[in-house]
Amino acid sequence: MKKQIVWLLAAMMAVLLVGCASQKEPAEQAIASAESAVNATREMAQKYVPDQLAGIDASIASAKDAFAKGDYKAVLNAAPALTAAISGMRDAATAKAAEAEAAMGKAKDAWGPMSTDVPKMVEAIQSRVDMLSKSHHLPPHVSKDALASAKSGLDSVKSMWNDASSAATSGDYTTAVTKGQATKDKATEIMHSLGMTS
Amino acid sequence: MADEKTPAGDNPYTQTHVVQSGDTLSKIAQKYYGDASLYKQIFEANRDVLKDPNKIFPGQKLKIP
Repeated sequence: MKKQIVWLLAAMMAVLLVGCASQKEPAEQAIASAESAVNATREMAQKYVPDQLAGIDASIASAKDAFAKGDYKAVLNAAPALTAAISGMRDAATAKAAEAEAAMGKAKDAWGPMSTDVPKMVEAIQSRVDMLSKSHHLPPHVSKDALASAKSGLDSVKSMWNDASSAATSGDYTTAVTKGQATKDKATEIMHSLGMTS
Repeated sequence: MADEKTPAGDNPYTQTHVVQSGDTLSKIAQKYYGDASLYKQIFEANRDVLKDPNKIFPGQKLKIP
C-alpha cells in the first residue's frame, strides 16, 4: 500500500512538473508578443496616451516578475486582458493622432491670412507712431502717456509676432495661430488707443 | 517683420479720411497728428490721388499714415 502511495505521489509530481514546463514557453511568448506590440506604437502612445502606456508597461513588468518566479499560469491568465489593453491603447493613440493632424491642418489654414494681416497692422501702427513722434503737439485724442504706451506696446507686438512666426516656421501652426491671435488683439488695442480705428 | 514696407494704399489697416467740405490738408493733419505742418506727409502718402496739396475735394478718400 505504502509503495502504491509513493508511486502515485511521484506520478502526480511528474505531471505537475510537465504541466509547468509546458506553460513556460507560452508564457514567454505572451510576454514577448506584448512587448513587441507595445514597442510598435510606443512613440505615438508616449505622445498621445502616456498614462495608458505607463499602465501597460507596469502590467508587462508584473508579468515578467511572475514569469521570473515561475508562475507561468498567472502570466497566461493575464495575457488576454493585456492584449486587449494594448489594442485599446493603439486605437486611442491613433484616434488622437488623427485629431491632432486635423487641428494642425485647420491652424495652418488660419495662419495664411494672419501671416499677411499682422505685419500690415504693425506697419500701420509704426507709421502712425512715427508721425505722432514728429508732431509738436499731440491731437486731443492721444495723450503723451498713450503714445509712450503705444511705442512700448509696439515693441511687444513685434516680439510676440517673432515668436508666432518661429512657431509657424517649425511647423507648429497651432501655437503660431494662438500667439498670432494674441499679437493681433494687442495690435488692435494699440490702434484703438491711437484713434486709428474709425 | 518684413523689410519691405507695404505701400499705404495697399495696407488695409492704414486709416483713411473722407474729405469734407471746408477740409484742407493742414486741417486734416491737425486733426490726426495735432500738428498742421505735417500736411506734407499726408500729401506724399496720397500722390496717387492728389496733384496739388492745396486742391482737395469733398468725397476724396485720403490715406492717413
